[in-house]
Amino acid sequence: MSDNNKKWFSLNLARKAHKSTGSCNCGKTSGGCGTSSNSHHMTDDEFAAAAINASIGEERTKDGFEQVFDVKMDRRTAFKKLTASLLIGAGAVSTSCSVISGDESKEKAQIDWEEQFKGNYKLMTDEEKEATVDRLVRSYQLRTGKTISMSSKNAEEDVLFGYAFNISKCQGYMDCVNACVEENNQDRDSQMQYIRIHEMKDGKGFNFNEADDNYYHEVPAQGHFYMGTQCFHCDNPPCVEVCPVQATWREDDGLVVVDYDWCVGCRYCMAACPYDGRRFNWSKPEVPEAEINHNQHYLGNRMRKKGVMEKCTFCVQRSRAGKNPACVEACPTGARIFGNLLDPNSTIRWVLENKKVFRLKEDLGTEPKFWYFMD
Amino acid sequence: MKNNIDIMSKIVCFSFFLLAFFSCKHHENEYHSITDKIEAESKNYHGTSISSEAYIGDIKTIEITEGMHTFLIPERKSQIKSYACTECHTKPLTQMQSKDLKKAHWDIKLDHANANTMNCVTCHNPDNTDDLKSLTGKSIDFNNSHNLCSQCHTKQFEDWKGGAHGKRIGGWAPPRASMTCVNCHNPHKPHFESRWPARFNTQKVKERE
Repeated sequence: MSDNNKKWFSLNLARKAHKSTGSCNCGKTSGGCGTSSNSHHMTDDEFAAAAINASIGEERTKDGFEQVFDVKMDRRTAFKKLTASLLIGAGAVSTSCSVISGDESKEKAQIDWEEQFKGNYKLMTDEEKEATVDRLVRSYQLRTGKTISMSSKNAEEDVLFGYAFNISKCQGYMDCVNACVEENNQDRDSQMQYIRIHEMKDGKGFNFNEADDNYYHEVPAQGHFYMGTQCFHCDNPPCVEVCPVQATWREDDGLVVVDYDWCVGCRYCMAACPYDGRRFNWSKPEVPEAEINHNQHYLGNRMRKKGVMEKCTFCVQRSRAGKNPACVEACPTGARIFGNLLDPNSTIRWVLENKKVFRLKEDLGTEPKFWYFMD
Repeated sequence: MKNNIDIMSKIVCFSFFLLAFFSCKHHENEYHSITDKIEAESKNYHGTSISSEAYIGDIKTIEITEGMHTFLIPERKSQIKSYACTECHTKPLTQMQSKDLKKAHWDIKLDHANANTMNCVTCHNPDNTDDLKSLTGKSIDFNNSHNLCSQCHTKQFEDWKGGAHGKRIGGWAPPRASMTCVNCHNPHKPHFESRWPARFNTQKVKERE
């Protein structure tokens, strides 16, 4: 992204040859600019924690400087916003002025600055999307020394994703749940899982009150059938309607996604979803470094933070590349069918046209793109 | 004062008037249902640039056409441990049955339907062991073993052709590659054993205490 397109003021911290006098831009020519450069030097973790705490529950990131401050707000909100931004700024300035901190910490501070003032992903141009993805990759590299690949691939033309689930084939093995957790870097501490498999008694209908979604015995159990639920990627999603900051939306290929950096963690969407499709990070998600899936998408399985919503994205990082979601690939029974609803020759279309399909809570008008069927 | 009320009521009337025009469809491009949307938007389907060819990987596949459906299935003969069968079965089976010869296929115990319905030669051709045979004695290639299964399992065969039964290989995008019957079901013992689930969520138990 070229500098003159930016909606915020750039710091150019890490750029060399900006001024030949020294590494900082404060104007002094000798001896560094800070009085004692390490007196106000926070560690990365302290800094991130302070910045998040100052702004949690509020709109943490905003679309450019003016859009942050040029709105009506009460004094408390204004103060919180100022604190958050000032912390970022202070961090940036303190590293930029420090003689000790190297190029890397300056680059980190610059990335933090740019990430703080970036816009809503939904409104970004393709260049802006690429820029934020590059920043996040670089930031991860600077912090952990590991290289990840992150995609910002947009929805493809003529694609609308749909899912079908065969309740007579599912045996309740839960291989899908394992695959999902590993693929999507979900928090291991809270054992978060997007998919729930409900063990239901034969002859009782779809009685979720009496179903068990956390069984542990040999499966399939006699007299039971199994039914999986996850985010249904509704075509008329109530979670999107209620989001006060438009941090969640439906993409053109039908995926309902979340911008984790725009989400304020109010959990309205969680309350609005009639299918229990959404999950909240009550603590910072922990994934052992060795288990992290490095093939990521901005809207998908990139590392989340404390206090944001997440959910199944039909593995956007896989599905937009032509692969099946991890749950589909992991299922040994073939109960899970995924594909393009707009392709008249796709298998998902054959299922919808030839099997007796139904959806959960169809009367709500949410139009889930997740159908159940039986043999 | 009266003037104000007058203006107010006019505004209210006007806004109701506007509502009548705009209230029904509050989103652009909205269809009455997802089925309508799929139907309308797939009319001009031109295909996508996404292909799942790369994800099929090293699996050797053959293309089959069954009814309206053409798709890929894994090639079978090169995967069978001791194919070609005629390397051992040099003579027709009737001539090879004797007590002096070593017993072969001791590891296979047929557990498919009952003994009244099926035995080895229901599917295997005793005169030409390199091929399978249909119920009426027609030869069926090992690569097309689905044509053998489909003689009895007609419903499953219909579902499999359409894509409702069985598992896809590679991704969702064309070209379609699907596992064939014997990739999941052992033809000599086609049912599955029960097993333990892959995980148990201890956190969920705590939360619900």
